[in-house]
Amino acid sequence: MPDQLNAQQLGQVFFDSLTNDAIANGTDPTAITHPQFFPTGGAPSVPSSLLGPTVPTTVNGQNGTDFLSEIFEATSTTNTSITLSNGSEKSKFSATLGYLNRGGIQLETGFQRGQARLNSEFKIGDRITVGQHTNVSFNVNSNFTANSTQIALRQNPLVPVFDDNGAFAGTFNNAFGLSNATNPVADLIRSSDDFLKQTRILGDAYLSVDIIDGLTAKTVIGGDLSLLNTRQFLALNPEHSEARGTNTLTEQNQQIYNWTWTNTLNYTKTFDKHNINAIFGYEAIQNTGKSLRVSASGFLFETPDFYLLSNASGAPIVDIPNTFDFESTLFSYFGSANYSYDNTYLFTGTLRRDRSSNFIDDNGTGTFGSASAGWVVSNEDFFPDNGVVNRLKLKGSWGSLGNQTTPRGNPGLNIFSLNNSLADFAFDGATATTGAFLNNLGNPDITWETSNTFNVGAEFGLFDNLFDISIEYYNITTNDLIVVNTNIGSDTSSDAGAPVTNTGQVVNKGFDIGISFNKAFSNDFTFGADLNVSTVDNEVTDLPGALIGQEFRNGSITRTEEGQAISSFFGRVADGIYRSEAEVAAGPDQGFANDLAGVGRVRYQDLNGDGVINDDDRTFIGNPHADVIFGLNLRLNYNNWDFSALLSGTLGNDLYNFDKTFTDFATFPNGNRNARVLDAFNATTNPNGSLPANSFIIQNAETSPSSFFVESGSFARLKNLVIGYTFPNQLTDKWGLSSLRLYANASNLFTITGYDGIDPEISPNSGANDATTIGVDENTFPLAQIFLFGVNLKI
Amino acid sequence: MKKNLIYVLVFAGLAISCGDEFAEVPAVGALSEQTLGNPDGVSLLLTGAYSALDGVRNNGSGNGFGISGDNWVYDVIADDAHKGSTDGDQADLFQVETNDWQTSNGYFRSRFTSIYAGVNRANAVLSIINTIDLASLTPGDAAAITQQQAEAMFLRAHFYFEATKIFGNVPIISVENFDALEFNQPNPGPAWDQIEADFQFAIDNLPATRAEQPDPGRPTQMVARAYLGKAHLYQQEWPAAVTQFSAVINSGEFALNPSYLDNFNFVGENGPESVFAIQFAADTGQSFNGNQGSTLNFPGGGPFGSCCGFYQPTIDLANAFQVDANGLPLIDTFNASDFENDYGILTGEPFTPDTTSPVDPRLDYTVGRRGIDYNGFGEHIGAEWIRASFDDISGPYLPKKNVYQADELGANQGTGVWGQQHSGVNYNIMRYADVLLMAAEAAAETGDLATALDYVNQVRNRAANTPVVQAVDGSGPAANYQVGLYTGFASADEAIAAVRFERRIELGMEGHRLFDLRRWGVTSAVLTAYYANESRTIANFGPKVRAYEPRQDLAPIPLDAIGLSGDILQQNPGY
Repeated sequence: MPDQLNAQQLGQVFFDSLTNDAIANGTDPTAITHPQFFPTGGAPSVPSSLLGPTVPTTVNGQNGTDFLSEIFEATSTTNTSITLSNGSEKSKFSATLGYLNRGGIQLETGFQRGQARLNSEFKIGDRITVGQHTNVSFNVNSNFTANSTQIALRQNPLVPVFDDNGAFAGTFNNAFGLSNATNPVADLIRSSDDFLKQTRILGDAYLSVDIIDGLTAKTVIGGDLSLLNTRQFLALNPEHSEARGTNTLTEQNQQIYNWTWTNTLNYTKTFDKHNINAIFGYEAIQNTGKSLRVSASGFLFETPDFYLLSNASGAPIVDIPNTFDFESTLFSYFGSANYSYDNTYLFTGTLRRDRSSNFIDDNGTGTFGSASAGWVVSNEDFFPDNGVVNRLKLKGSWGSLGNQTTPRGNPGLNIFSLNNSLADFAFDGATATTGAFLNNLGNPDITWETSNTFNVGAEFGLFDNLFDISIEYYNITTNDLIVVNTNIGSDTSSDAGAPVTNTGQVVNKGFDIGISFNKAFSNDFTFGADLNVSTVDNEVTDLPGALIGQEFRNGSITRTEEGQAISSFFGRVADGIYRSEAEVAAGPDQGFANDLAGVGRVRYQDLNGDGVINDDDRTFIGNPHADVIFGLNLRLNYNNWDFSALLSGTLGNDLYNFDKTFTDFATFPNGNRNARVLDAFNATTNPNGSLPANSFIIQNAETSPSSFFVESGSFARLKNLVIGYTFPNQLTDKWGLSSLRLYANASNLFTITGYDGIDPEISPNSGANDATTIGVDENTFPLAQIFLFGVNLKI
Repeated sequence: MKKNLIYVLVFAGLAISCGDEFAEVPAVGALSEQTLGNPDGVSLLLTGAYSALDGVRNNGSGNGFGISGDNWVYDVIADDAHKGSTDGDQADLFQVETNDWQTSNGYFRSRFTSIYAGVNRANAVLSIINTIDLASLTPGDAAAITQQQAEAMFLRAHFYFEATKIFGNVPIISVENFDALEFNQPNPGPAWDQIEADFQFAIDNLPATRAEQPDPGRPTQMVARAYLGKAHLYQQEWPAAVTQFSAVINSGEFALNPSYLDNFNFVGENGPESVFAIQFAADTGQSFNGNQGSTLNFPGGGPFGSCCGFYQPTIDLANAFQVDANGLPLIDTFNASDFENDYGILTGEPFTPDTTSPVDPRLDYTVGRRGIDYNGFGEHIGAEWIRASFDDISGPYLPKKNVYQADELGANQGTGVWGQQHSGVNYNIMRYADVLLMAAEAAAETGDLATALDYVNQVRNRAANTPVVQAVDGSGPAANYQVGLYTGFASADEAIAAVRFERRIELGMEGHRLFDLRRWGVTSAVLTAYYANESRTIANFGPKVRAYEPRQDLAPIPLDAIGLSGDILQQNPGY
């Protein structure tokens, strides 16, 4: 958890900030005031009660409130499942019932899932097999949009959770100098009746017929039905300095239906040392969906039994982007053939033709194939039998693979839509007329994205397979990348969504290395270890122009350009801090009012050497892609004890710690700061400080993208640790059980990282959800540490 | 074996027969270009283009309050307004006001993208019209299409005008560029040629009279002429401007409202003075047709519990309404002394507003000051209604023109999702008083002092006869209101100075001031003097505001716009 300032420290930081600003502005530093910490000037002190609110609101002592610890809590998880299975020559089935109740680590968040799975298969006569898989689940995600991490980082610690009358406390009024973060505890509790409920039915039924020996026809019809139902209530928050004027209920219903029909013919034949396996088939897939999201405002009561859209006093409003209806289809033929001779020479070829409704006419058709070959050298007569290497396989493959996934439906067409909020106008000043606008720019030329994959590798077995080692080099060249082209859909384009285009080429290459060790030291003692290491080198090898990533508060942070990795960070190079007027005078022109005003500020590198710091002094300042991704899995069994551990991590990736915009700078001047700012430069008290001088305003463009925010994202994390004990058979037999195991499981037990943010594994909803905006950490919901004690019981 | 072969053939036949049609799926719920290629369809898209006037658009980027079509942000840059609220609230607007202009500032970005959304919504209309064969239509439909084309050209010219006023060097996106998705075009200079051509087409094809164009939200020929005159004025093409303005004035289509207030309330909406307005409406629900970009610009707390205390008139602006014994403005000396204000005085502490010094009555329709009725909500009680503290730069005044009248709350007040104000008060992009003053300025520049005098005095005469704000105790006018007419101008310089000053007091807090200063070439001098004068009262203001730099005569082309264009857009000089 980040270390945020307590109230006393924050008062001192505010005092220093305003003092620094007064000195830099040439005004009287003794005249500064702050509405809470030094309302009439003088030294800062923590008030015993908030100054200003009419309701008495006692501050939580000198330290104030630690909002991070207020919103995070230890919680419990229950996971139960029962499996029944039975089988015979002619039929088999298995049924599983499960229930999971996982508490969320932020207040009032949580997840429940009930699940039933039924698989069965029957043989009819000798040649016909029918079967099915069905998986029905029902999830309830409580408080599903809640994530108050950033708000908790920002909230002023003077604010307590509750006022003296027991109501929620807040920032009350902007003039009270408490900034404008909401009370994160109040937010979480008020939204505790929000839910996302999902019903999902997933399954297939199949029929397979053995036509002649070795030739099997199979037809599979699969379906996936997902029903989503959400409720969100934004309650009034009168204690907030920017209180809501009305409460709003939002409900969404979404249904998605997918079905797939696959027909295949499979031929398998072995004669002498020849082994043939060929498959031909075709497949039709249809995805359809529909969504409706409506909100309404003005509820008299804020209790869940009143949360019906019809109880609103305002008119219901349809949320356009979340109200949609779509359909897409894919039709494919495919064939593949495997041939091997004597299990020593292995060949595979595949070919497929796909037609996608996402693209117009012939652009919808894509043809893809692959070929691979393998040689098990150790099967050859000449291979020594008693060497260190007991098994050796060489392999190589080449293939092309298509991707038809587009970020939105019908990307080939200009999509015009009616819109009653963005395209309407009241021609008489009173009554609105609904209009239409171009909603998405179409690109009729959009077609398949193709990846060409090339692999060569070798597998070794050493010391009689004590060690298994595999080494593979891969090179994936992706052409005609499907991108939302913000270069074409630039600021001077319409306000329609940018067109989807096939743009550029990206190469990913590297090595995958796996080393496994397995040894049974005795019947009661076995040990195994698997180490997987992948190196990754991502580079854009062709791209006209540049693609700019998602925009944040101070503009976009990432840029995708030829010769760089996708979504590289782009900005100024922060090169330390100016510590004296002489240094400022000697440096390039950063636009300071005078040399004194530059002291304590970030120094930027004058990359083009023109003596002025401006937008031309930006460059690539970080790469969000890891150089190495690794995982280590350890397994040990000793007598009745079992032990396993999984450690994984990355090396060499950078993260952009965007939350520092709020915690290290005065983006919200009256909000809280991180403890890092205690080491801010101060000409008299801390001339060697590591952060720029504290200020109550943003100066010197210090929250704009720069290397100040770029940190190493490397980490190693113990993802999972399990210790189990299986009761001896003598006991379980006596108890009438077939087996009984107790275990303890710990997830995310520790993390080794130098990263300052809340979690180096940043969550996808923190801005990293866009293909050209990777590695920007904003408002990450940290991973939970989970301790689990369990029982496996078989009857 | 033969039977097996048939299985295989049937299997393959199924596969081939249904494949290609299966993979063709129409776009659900979307309007096709064919559907739109007729007067009704074009009308939908044209409505969408009008809708962009307020700056609200799809896929927004930058600061959502910077989009505003009423240009309040540019009054904050000029000497009419402070940002309002506390300094730290909307830090990027604080940077705008204090001259720390980063090219990435979200206020400039959002305005830039909103303007081009408007340009291209107009282009979308023109593009669809290009697909229609007019000869195949009935004469009535063909005429309707031509008028729609003229309206789209008019709107496009309006958006280019906004772009040119704010950013100076702007790209032109033609319909051909639009069709070819070639949106990245160079920005070598202002868009005047395009603006004039588009307005000329509008003049030639728009209905000649209001009777033929009954929707007040749509332009007539005379509206386009007024705009074209303004375009000439901005280029200092005085005779050409005179020609257009004279035609507009002589047409009789417009007149001054007898009541000055009727330009800023619901009752007077679309009255004879309104030339072209953003038609805001506070419809029920979340008021999408309300003024969303100006949502911050209501008292923070205050008489009706609104948010957010932004857009506060300056001391300098209030000073400008001081008049001499003849009721004429103190053009050169208005800042010699500050009009009395309650800055630094708490609500509970005594303060008596100045009700005796002669002032122009437009003061109390423009600047909300303590002790005077605030738009019918009763006496403005001072500091408690001001969100900014005395440590902040924003001073003691409240905006009035953009704020509802108390008796029209029902008609005009709209709300957004966090309870913010979405006002239904129309914003007059151009009103007849503005036309008269532009005409007066063009006349003065050409040496026609008599015409200049006539027009300025028409505006002043209305101010002299308008109903005035009444004292809260019902004792009569709230202050000593005096307006005198000019008796004559001794020189063109005198006339020009009078006209320019009249623009400020007639059109204060209406989003015009900065652009006037720029075209007069006096921004640096006027603002530098303003920073010093303002600091007499707001001591913190001077130290916090940085020196005005010549580059600021144009706003920076937004950094991300340059990046997204693949560096085809060039930054304005000096950034």
